[in-house]
Amino acid sequence: MIEAKAVNFAYNRGQPVINDVTCKIEDGEFVALLGHNGSGKTTLSRLFMALVHPRSGQVFVDGDNIENLEPADLAHQVGYVFQNPDLQILEDNVFSEVAYGPICKKLPKDAVKEQVIAALEAMGLENLADAYPRTLSFGQKRRLGVAAALALNPRTLILDEITNGQDEQEKDNMMAYLEKLNKEKGITIILITHDMNIARKYARRAIVLNNGDLVFDGRTQDLYNGERDLNEWGLSQPVLAVLSAAMGLSAYSVEEFCQQLFPKEGDER
Amino acid sequence: MKITAFTQLITVLAVTAWVFLLPVPVVALILVLELALLLYIKHDRLTMAAIGALTVFTGMMILLQLVFGSSFSVSLIGGLRMFVMTTAFLCLLAATKIQDIAQALVEKFHLPFEYAFMLTTALRFVPDFLADSATTLDAQSCRGYSNRGNVFKRLYSYLAVVKPLVMRAVAKSDTLALSMELKGFGANTYQNMQPQKLQVADYGVLLVVIILSFYPFWAKYL
Repeated sequence: MIEAKAVNFAYNRGQPVINDVTCKIEDGEFVALLGHNGSGKTTLSRLFMALVHPRSGQVFVDGDNIENLEPADLAHQVGYVFQNPDLQILEDNVFSEVAYGPICKKLPKDAVKEQVIAALEAMGLENLADAYPRTLSFGQKRRLGVAAALALNPRTLILDEITNGQDEQEKDNMMAYLEKLNKEKGITIILITHDMNIARKYARRAIVLNNGDLVFDGRTQDLYNGERDLNEWGLSQPVLAVLSAAMGLSAYSVEEFCQQLFPKEGDER
Repeated sequence: MKITAFTQLITVLAVTAWVFLLPVPVVALILVLELALLLYIKHDRLTMAAIGALTVFTGMMILLQLVFGSSFSVSLIGGLRMFVMTTAFLCLLAATKIQDIAQALVEKFHLPFEYAFMLTTALRFVPDFLADSATTLDAQSCRGYSNRGNVFKRLYSYLAVVKPLVMRAVAKSDTLALSMELKGFGANTYQNMQPQKLQVADYGVLLVVIILSFYPFWAKYL
């Protein structure tokens, strides 16, 4: 569980980036953190991970104030996956790369092996355990980043623009793994994204920031109901949401849209 | 008054000579002038930090000389000379674009343009490198890296930050080299900069430089 209470933040002496934000993310939620560029969503997630500390207000992780903690102290509770996987690849094979976190935490060898294997399996990388990480595809590197965070058994995963620069198939692949983690293992997912379709399809809750202010916190389907004007927050309704709403459907993918529009015999519309 | 990069380079080279040629009080005066000039050109946090770091480094140099048996005055003068020389370079970097310096090196000093380009590229990499190192540090911290323990432990654990950075820098330079070659770098037929012509101000500054540089002669004979 992550909770922000009246959090304010500004970099150095600059303009405030986060203004009096209060929100609570419960265990097992799938949350999309949305907003235009510079709206403060990455900064808010950095506050959750103790990468920066609030000017005022408090952040709690599992009920503990993280004011005096470092990211390393939280790594077994919250996993953070950065946008660029290349900037953290350290080892010469995938297994060792994922094992870095558990080894830092000085876990026994058997536990390291067990957690690494579990993380690799969770992200579909078990067959690439001996591969050189830099030769992996971009999508695989992204999954490696998630596996590296998962190896510490965190209860929450924060993913910063995890689907950026990936083709549709790889995006779906990644999101399927994350959905499985959320549903089967109960891991809280906080997804920072610009991809409205992904947010609409997978997240059950949306938090929208606009110039550092929290302007929406509620069900994703209420945000993307196809009617709400999101332009003032620098967002837009996905085309599918607008079309579905106009036609009285509730499709989350093109396939679903077609099925609902042209139901086969025996299907319910 | 704007002087060209060529004149500025000559002045900086002259200052490095003056610290040995001119009397110590004059060298101290040059330092005061340099600092005033530097703060006039740029008085942001980075400049203040650079001056602060330089002061600490100079203090350490003086201390080191004292430890190895130099007298206090010799150590102090040594520190002052280093401070003046380095501040001259800081003034140059604050006042002039790297591209202008590179152009002056190629045009006036006949440095092969590949080397001048290497200089500008290396300096352009610095902010990128600093940004990458901050991100890498954050990324590894989120995986359990912590800069705690004794010096040796810290140095060893810092490899987790250095290694990805080096790999990233190599990959970046490789990409840059490839893209430069694809753009025809090395053909040496393309000129996209106006030649830097010396103005009246440049001649004035160069005259002062010449006069001061000949101090040992006119101090002896006049």
